[in-house]
Amino acid sequence: MTTVVEPTVATIHPTPKAADFSWARWLVVTQKEFTDLLRDRKSIFWALFAVAISGPLMVGLMYWLTTAVMDRVDKLTVPIVNAQFAPDLVRTIERQGMKIDADPPDYESRVKSGELDFALVVDTDFTESLAAGRPARITLITERSRDRSAPLAGRVSSVLNAWANQMGRERLILRGVSPVLAHPVQVEELDLATPEQRGSRLLQFMSFYALFAGLMGAIAAALDVTAGERERQTLEPLLTTPVTTLELTLGKWLAVTGINLIAVTTSLLGFVLSLHLVPLDRLGLPFTFGLAEYAGFMAVLTPFACMVPAVLLAFGAAGKTAKEAQSSLQMGVSLIGLLPLMSMVRQTRAPWWDAWVPVNGQYAVLNKVLRAETIATHEWAAMLAIPALIGVVALYALSRRLGDERMLAGR
Amino acid sequence: MIEVCDLCKAFTVRERRSTFALRASTRNVVAVDRVSFTAHDGEVTGLLGPNGAGKTTTLRMLSTLLTPDAGQARIDGADVASEQPRVRRSLGVLGDAKGLYWRLSARENIAYFGRLHGLAAPQAARRADQLIDELGLAALAERPTQGFSQGERMKVAIARALVHNPQTVLLDEPTNGLDIMATRSMRELIRGLRAAGKCVLFSSHIMQEVAALCDRIVIIDRGRVVFNGTPSEILAASGKRSLEDAFVQLIGSEEGLFA
Repeated sequence: MTTVVEPTVATIHPTPKAADFSWARWLVVTQKEFTDLLRDRKSIFWALFAVAISGPLMVGLMYWLTTAVMDRVDKLTVPIVNAQFAPDLVRTIERQGMKIDADPPDYESRVKSGELDFALVVDTDFTESLAAGRPARITLITERSRDRSAPLAGRVSSVLNAWANQMGRERLILRGVSPVLAHPVQVEELDLATPEQRGSRLLQFMSFYALFAGLMGAIAAALDVTAGERERQTLEPLLTTPVTTLELTLGKWLAVTGINLIAVTTSLLGFVLSLHLVPLDRLGLPFTFGLAEYAGFMAVLTPFACMVPAVLLAFGAAGKTAKEAQSSLQMGVSLIGLLPLMSMVRQTRAPWWDAWVPVNGQYAVLNKVLRAETIATHEWAAMLAIPALIGVVALYALSRRLGDERMLAGR
Repeated sequence: MIEVCDLCKAFTVRERRSTFALRASTRNVVAVDRVSFTAHDGEVTGLLGPNGAGKTTTLRMLSTLLTPDAGQARIDGADVASEQPRVRRSLGVLGDAKGLYWRLSARENIAYFGRLHGLAAPQAARRADQLIDELGLAALAERPTQGFSQGERMKVAIARALVHNPQTVLLDEPTNGLDIMATRSMRELIRGLRAAGKCVLFSSHIMQEVAALCDRIVIIDRGRVVFNGTPSEILAASGKRSLEDAFVQLIGSEEGLFA
């Protein structure tokens, strides 16, 4: 039993899609998403805290490690067994400002266990052998696999070698032979690294952490505004209002980008502050992270930090729930994290196209900024063009997806 | 006024026999099959039918969320498929999904939708205040909606749908999950809308709900309209004494009554 519908008299006025876009609504969506995201205090706090603390933590750790090694090398105590047979050696070591620990008991097991970093054992016939011109033996007992002992053993070993060489030269001179004869070939090393470059090698990780901030800062927010919207069942009511999917897409992107830029800025500020607090020159590290480096980093990271939310949003919308989206994102993020590691361990020179690979290109240019090298125009072009291209494609995909009927039907 | 003429919608459902099956078979499910009816201004029209009859799909097509496969639907003369912006401006929709933003307050939730409907900020705020007063939400207005009860959430969702003072109001199962007091106040609200001359279309699977409110009833079963008329016409046509018996006879089962 059906009734016939009354004939309609109204004429159709199809409105072109592009004309529907409203800047005002875009900003309303942005403002709402931004407020909503900032209300999620716990997630925001932990995301920002993690990226802000990683820089200072790293610099602090490096400083602590280096000073600790330097302190131990400076205040070195040298355990010597049978020191009475080599009084000259004892005097040389003491002149270097080191203390002597004569005849330590159980030295071998204590070196093995790490209680002693090394031990010197002077042969009992050392004095006689030295006087007779036979090779007189001193044994340096070390444990090579232990990283923290290596610099100390190295220091003592170099003192020993210098002392032995000195003695050898004196003997040659006494016999009327020039010591130069004993060194027919002179090997010299010329290191082309400028002081800045040597310092920046230690802080190479900084570029990695800055990129990491641009990635991690947006994840929670991107999931919340896409998969979270589906999970809370707020997408359907939203789509019954005049707001277009393009306005929604751009609004969400702008809000998440805002959060991401805060994360990147915080992370870099953390680096700058900690590098200024730590007396790097005390470490012989002529490394600076001044205004020029900060500006360079921001110039590279800003386009990157705008691209990442677009990609994350496009992926996030694929999940019906935040949890589902998170598990698919996790793989993508760890893959992206591996990219710069690849160039860190690569032995050959980077191929020409490396600059155009997202993440890798950024990593390379950030390192150049740290090394105070000039960055070519085509590299700057890549820093802008690649994120812009990827971002536009991702945002287009997201806007198509938000308007897709399956988003509602396949709930 | 809502005019619906031969509206059709089918979905493709992908199914796997088991978790490890490589191939998914697809199946075509017709959700709405040539549905036609008219809902007038100043009247409450009930869309009645058992679960899965096609009520939500019909309402989603009317609210421009789904595009009809065939047929036409017009809201005050505007076609839902080709004139989306106009339709969306004139519609207030309380859809199947009634989610709120948890971290925003009731007032912010309502005002946000007002802004999306093109109201200026002060205008949206004033309208939100007015609806908050009308619905008795004043004590909760500034609280985040996370801790709200089912009835309080429904009130915020309804206020959000009415914020731009729409002429046509679509309500998908508006009393679902509400207690008796909340159901009564929802009925009051719907009567108020009718008194204000609005066109109200609401869906329900509960006969009593529809009988208590509607001037006109459209009964849908398996995607098709099986009856369209006033409550007294239903009784006359079925020859039954109660609407409940008439409903059972029309849809040929008692399914909808206990769902």
